[in-house]
Amino acid sequence: MQERAERSVHFAVTIIGKDSPGIVAGAAEVLYKLGCNIEDSSCTMLGGEFAMILIVSHNKPFSKTRLLEDFRAFEEKLHLSVFVRSLSSDEVHYRVPEGELCMVSVYGSDRPGIVFRVTNELAERNISISDLNTKLIGTPEQPVYVMMIEAVLPRGLEIEEVGKMLKKLKKELNVEISVRSVTPVSL
Amino acid sequence: MSVQKIILYPDPVLKKVCRPVRDLDEEILGLIRDLVDTMRSGPGSVGVAAPQIGITLRVCVVDVSGSKLGKNSNHGLLVMVNPEIIESDGTAVMREGCMSVPDYTGDVERATGVTIRFTDENNRVRVLETSGFEAVAVQHEMDHLDGLLFLDRISSLKTGLFRRKNYK
Repeated sequence: MQERAERSVHFAVTIIGKDSPGIVAGAAEVLYKLGCNIEDSSCTMLGGEFAMILIVSHNKPFSKTRLLEDFRAFEEKLHLSVFVRSLSSDEVHYRVPEGELCMVSVYGSDRPGIVFRVTNELAERNISISDLNTKLIGTPEQPVYVMMIEAVLPRGLEIEEVGKMLKKLKKELNVEISVRSVTPVSL
Repeated sequence: MSVQKIILYPDPVLKKVCRPVRDLDEEILGLIRDLVDTMRSGPGSVGVAAPQIGITLRVCVVDVSGSKLGKNSNHGLLVMVNPEIIESDGTAVMREGCMSVPDYTGDVERATGVTIRFTDENNRVRVLETSGFEAVAVQHEMDHLDGLLFLDRISSLKTGLFRRKNYK
């Protein structure tokens, strides 16, 4: 791994717009020409939109304005929205939470409040969501909602307890909820 | 007999196809001891393959008996020289990490049960059926002998970080 300059700057860049080929290449070109490194990124299709979230860094300090200016032509050409946020050092040097990693599947007939009720239950127990995605599937007559949550349990909380604690909610919302461990195995 | 340093990617030795062992001589017995010592020294380590300590020979060791996932079903210490998978069935996905690729994990699909044939440390040819976490560990270590890392087998984009990781 390359030595990172002490004074490197970090930005969170969010890009979203109607999907078309070349969005990633276009964004990567802007960043490459600026000398920025794409450190962590996650890009996906959401509905017909393509959404990119990137953590980018640069060895030498430069402004957020410069980054936005260099994105402008790309943004206009592909009809995208680009947002940039400067990251402070405590956002960059964070601690990955300890504890079991679990996957929670929630699915059932669509109804309001599924995301809120389930995630609120997790938040109350200090369970930290590390990844979440939802999808509306099924037919217009019978819409089905699917939500997958990956979450880090606080130290000492067992997966079985999470299953038990969501049981009541499962009944109330009339959805299926299952919980299982996805803690990585070290080989 | 000593604990060896685990070689990290991008060292090219990890992408080499390893040579079969001809004779179980002193050199190989020494390699086996090094592999076992290295595995025992790593916290939570359940297996090491020869290329991970820089030796491109088809030797690996696995022991899942001390792990949470493997303690109820295992064959104890497995020393495998020239191992082959002769039968496999079922598939399951597990999120794997590897000592040679620190700070990264990914979902890998592997057989749930494998029958393996290998020569053990006493120069006996053994055939045994293994399943569950032990089977996953055996397949992961055997992949190293063919220059394959779990990164070559990731089955979904769901990747993560090891908990021990400190961001950069």
